[in-house]
Amino acid sequence: MKSIKNTVQYSAWVKVLIAAAAIVIVLTGCNERENSRDKSANAVNEAGYPETLTIWTVLNGNAAATMKNANEIAAYQEVEKATGTKVTFQHPPQGQEMDAFNIMISSGNLPDVIEYTWTNAPGGPDKVIAEETIIRLNELIEEHAPNLRKYLDENPEVEKLITTDDGNIYVFPFIRGDEFLLTFNGIIVRQDWLDALDLEMPETIDEWYEVLKAFKTGDPNGNGKADEIPLLLELGQLDVNHAFIGAWGITTKFYQVDGEVRYGPMQPEFKEFLTTMNKWYEEGLIDPDYAATDGTLKDAKVMNDQVGAFLGFTGSSIGRYMDLKKDEPKFNLVGAPNVVLNKGDEPLLGQKDPPFIGYGAAITSANKFPEATAKWLDYKYSEEGHMLFNFGVEGVSYEMIDGYPTYTDEVMNHPSLPVTQAMSRYMMASYSGPFIQDRRYMEQYSQLPQQKEAIQTWMRAKNDRLMPIVTPTAEESSRYASIMNDVNTYYDEMINKFIMGVVPISQFDEFVETLKGMGIEEAIKIQQAALDRFNSR
Amino acid sequence: MTINDQQIQSAPRTRPSFVSRAAKDFRKNAAIYLMVLPVVIYYAVFQYGPLYGIQIAFKDYSARLGIWNSPWTGFQHFQDFFQGYYFERVVRNTIILGLYDLIFVFPASIILALMLNEVRNRMFKRTVQSITYIPHFISVVVVVGMMIDFLSADGLINHLIAYFGGQPISFMRLPEWFRAIYISSAIWQGVGWGSIIYLAAISNIDPTLYESAKVDGANRWKQMIHITLPGLMPTIIILFILRIGSFMALQDEKILLMYNPMTYETADTIGTYVYRKGILEASYSYSAAVGLFNSVINFVLLISANYLSKRFTDTKLW
Amino acid sequence: MVHKKTFGEHIFDTSNTLALMLLSLVTLYPFVYVLFASVSNPAELVQHRGILLWPKGFTLDAYRLVFENPNIIRSYLNTIFYVTVGTALNILMTALGAYALSRRNVMWKNTIMIMIVLTMFFDGGLIPRYLLMKNLGLLDTYAALIVPAAISTWNLIVMRTAFQSVPVALEESARMDGAGDWTILFRIIIPLSLPVIAVMILFYGVGHWNRWFEALIYLRERDLFPLQLILREILVQNDTSSMMTSVGGGDRMPIGETIKYATIIVATVPILLLYPFLQKYFVKGVMIGAIKE
Repeated sequence: MKSIKNTVQYSAWVKVLIAAAAIVIVLTGCNERENSRDKSANAVNEAGYPETLTIWTVLNGNAAATMKNANEIAAYQEVEKATGTKVTFQHPPQGQEMDAFNIMISSGNLPDVIEYTWTNAPGGPDKVIAEETIIRLNELIEEHAPNLRKYLDENPEVEKLITTDDGNIYVFPFIRGDEFLLTFNGIIVRQDWLDALDLEMPETIDEWYEVLKAFKTGDPNGNGKADEIPLLLELGQLDVNHAFIGAWGITTKFYQVDGEVRYGPMQPEFKEFLTTMNKWYEEGLIDPDYAATDGTLKDAKVMNDQVGAFLGFTGSSIGRYMDLKKDEPKFNLVGAPNVVLNKGDEPLLGQKDPPFIGYGAAITSANKFPEATAKWLDYKYSEEGHMLFNFGVEGVSYEMIDGYPTYTDEVMNHPSLPVTQAMSRYMMASYSGPFIQDRRYMEQYSQLPQQKEAIQTWMRAKNDRLMPIVTPTAEESSRYASIMNDVNTYYDEMINKFIMGVVPISQFDEFVETLKGMGIEEAIKIQQAALDRFNSR
Repeated sequence: MTINDQQIQSAPRTRPSFVSRAAKDFRKNAAIYLMVLPVVIYYAVFQYGPLYGIQIAFKDYSARLGIWNSPWTGFQHFQDFFQGYYFERVVRNTIILGLYDLIFVFPASIILALMLNEVRNRMFKRTVQSITYIPHFISVVVVVGMMIDFLSADGLINHLIAYFGGQPISFMRLPEWFRAIYISSAIWQGVGWGSIIYLAAISNIDPTLYESAKVDGANRWKQMIHITLPGLMPTIIILFILRIGSFMALQDEKILLMYNPMTYETADTIGTYVYRKGILEASYSYSAAVGLFNSVINFVLLISANYLSKRFTDTKLW
Repeated sequence: MVHKKTFGEHIFDTSNTLALMLLSLVTLYPFVYVLFASVSNPAELVQHRGILLWPKGFTLDAYRLVFENPNIIRSYLNTIFYVTVGTALNILMTALGAYALSRRNVMWKNTIMIMIVLTMFFDGGLIPRYLLMKNLGLLDTYAALIVPAAISTWNLIVMRTAFQSVPVALEESARMDGAGDWTILFRIIIPLSLPVIAVMILFYGVGHWNRWFEALIYLRERDLFPLQLILREILVQNDTSSMMTSVGGGDRMPIGETIKYATIIVATVPILLLYPFLQKYFVKGVMIGAIKE
């Protein structure tokens, strides 16, 4: 009995020991890897570039579909050949970028370079510099980044954009290098429906009302059923393209009139906008389910020939839907002009991004060779770098035809990949990165005439009321975020209730009072101060 | 059902000194303490280790200064939360959803386990079991995606309603429907999975009890009431106490995907509110404060539930 | 079963069966929908509304595309590693803890138990946990997803309750034969508790299978990502709201609906297969009951 007991105990012990050993092996094995990485960390090679770099950046979905990390992008492979720098990319999971970024910043566990939209960083770029997370780049750019320096000298308005109120340049920026690249979103309408009902392209709010009513009753899809949704409204997109609301010269957020900041939803014009939308909704001109419509449902409704007008992008809306419906030549989507109140007026507001939205590559305080890193980042702003990141590799992804870099079939007519994914294998022009985006990319990416026309149409607006990208000071930022969190929740809730008639428009004054109670006036002051600082840069 | 060791330990009147009792205990139970050692180490390192971080609820956390050196703010974050415009609403919604969950979702698994236990055809039973587990494996993103699809104005459910002559309802944007949808989908997701533990407990009930009940002429209903259910009671009570202890912990991720501004009125909870605030401000201190508030309430609930259970039944957590 | 069914029992059995069938139908249909949708022709599917009784067209393109995604295979293998190693560690640790805490006459038992239960309610928060992992050198390692999840308190309590229900008589007779605690745990308690161990394997296994948040926080090395994180990436690409706010922006193409469904199937089926394998232990559990008393 005794001996049996002992062997049993022994085997139990062995099990425990094995488990413990397994844990230790896993832990130490990984630790060694960690260490070896540290050892080989940054040294500078003969050409003056860092031997290695760790870069934290989002891997765009179009790229992620065909590759594991950005080293597989042809442009980066060429950069490695030219500079000898071995890059290790860290890509946060898509859809969780913000969480991953915030944790990285808050923990102080930093890579060498971080690419991010720094205006979204908690507290803004100046605070991140003050917290010693990333470093100020003005001097580094002066001495080690001649290509970017040259571009900034030629485009002083861009230098103003990428400099903070405190005078810091915080990134090697992503710049959309042409007006043509700044507009990509607006109202899209079924031209074939307009034609079927013999209607003109609507320009004013009143004309839109007539057109939508005709869509509702005229059976433009010709299936004999009154299943048409004249307008699919996505309120979130109004924040970007100011569709319809722009006719009144206001936005859903902050805007400026001659340097004076105002908050759109508090204005009397907003009441008129709500009254109109409510009327449209009551008459069934707006999709009754609009508040709970996601991308899938939108696709289904558009593809099902139910929607007459909606808000969307040149590529992922016009281009994609036209492509999916290419067997139905009748299906025709065009961009509608920005809406005005009186016929013949110049539209006040449309969608127009600033050339710089705060996105770029920042050098962190953990980087041991900031000068060499700056030199490496500057390569992308050189002539070779510019061509690589916009067009890829000559002879493979583009050919020079009469001095115009023309994408090859490898990109434009790839046998198995959609255009955006094929592009992503070679270059980064179809999304963003620390380089200057080239107009000639968009000219070719927007293949369809409808896409090019839509951009031209949507570009027609004064847009002088748009706010530039401003940032509150580090001290104000927490108070501002706190106010705007409550305000945005309340706004999101009430705008729907007003439009759907759950709350009568007569209660608009109470709505404004509540906004004031939440501190909106203080938020306006903070924005005003930020704008003043911006204007005096 | 737990044998109360307090009674055993405190039984002898003349107690030896604490040290000598501890020494004796260690000698006698050396193997047991060795076994529990890795467990204790785990809890010490991974559960108690980070607890010092609770202090950031009373501080303004800054990455540069670190947890210890960040400046104190006292109860500022708590005050901000309590005085926030939406405080009452999010607390109310959290409590109501928690309560509904307890009333409807919790018993559903027990009922399913009892129903399955009555099935005599083993093949059928196994099939039903396997099927009802599936939703547990499906990501909440997909579950909600399908809900929105099926419940939209011209979705599947409304087709059925129209077929039977009813008026279509826009379920996903009516605040009065939100709770019903949240709760019924929670049952759908978890009823089968939750029943596993009860079925395992039922399988541990002594079959001779049923035999003798049959001899006494008890029908199956009576057997269920008098044997199965009492046999399940310890498991039910333990799980109930634990459930009470996580009363305020809702499926925030699911709510975030389900709600829209139209349904904030009934759908916005502490968790979703903190998420919106946290994402905007990355204010870990604030969310730590709200998290602490939540924990304290849950903890008080757990203590009370355990106390009541100890008082009125034999079952207890500790 | 010589016992003859009464009329009432017939009614009961029939309605019970019907109710369970209805439940199965309601549960199964959305899953069937996903399966059908995943093999449907994308263009036809997107125009379809309402109930789907059969795939719209048939193509396995979506599955081909899913497996062409370079991240899928690696993350699949990673997840298998996380599930097997993680669950093995879970069961070992939980059994040790549950056994120790289910013994009588152990002086510190209650203290330890209370300390453990307390942790269900208090949490140091994200940042301190992250810093701890950093100090332990666990960031960007396989262990980051395994070691911090070594025990679930909830499961520990359940297993402890199960161990307590093992008849004392068996243990006492073993002790009489000179068995120590290790023998009793591995030779008596665990074999008699296989049903609950099976349940625990399932609970822990599914927990590891679905774990993604820890991976998001502790891992930057994509070669270590578990399947769920990649799955979420694929799903989120279809979300227009995240397109609007995504970092870096760009005119992002939503992927086809069918790829989304195929991904769900690919990510769900393996863990479903685990269940029938474990179910035999439930049957055994019933037999073990016979030994009691």
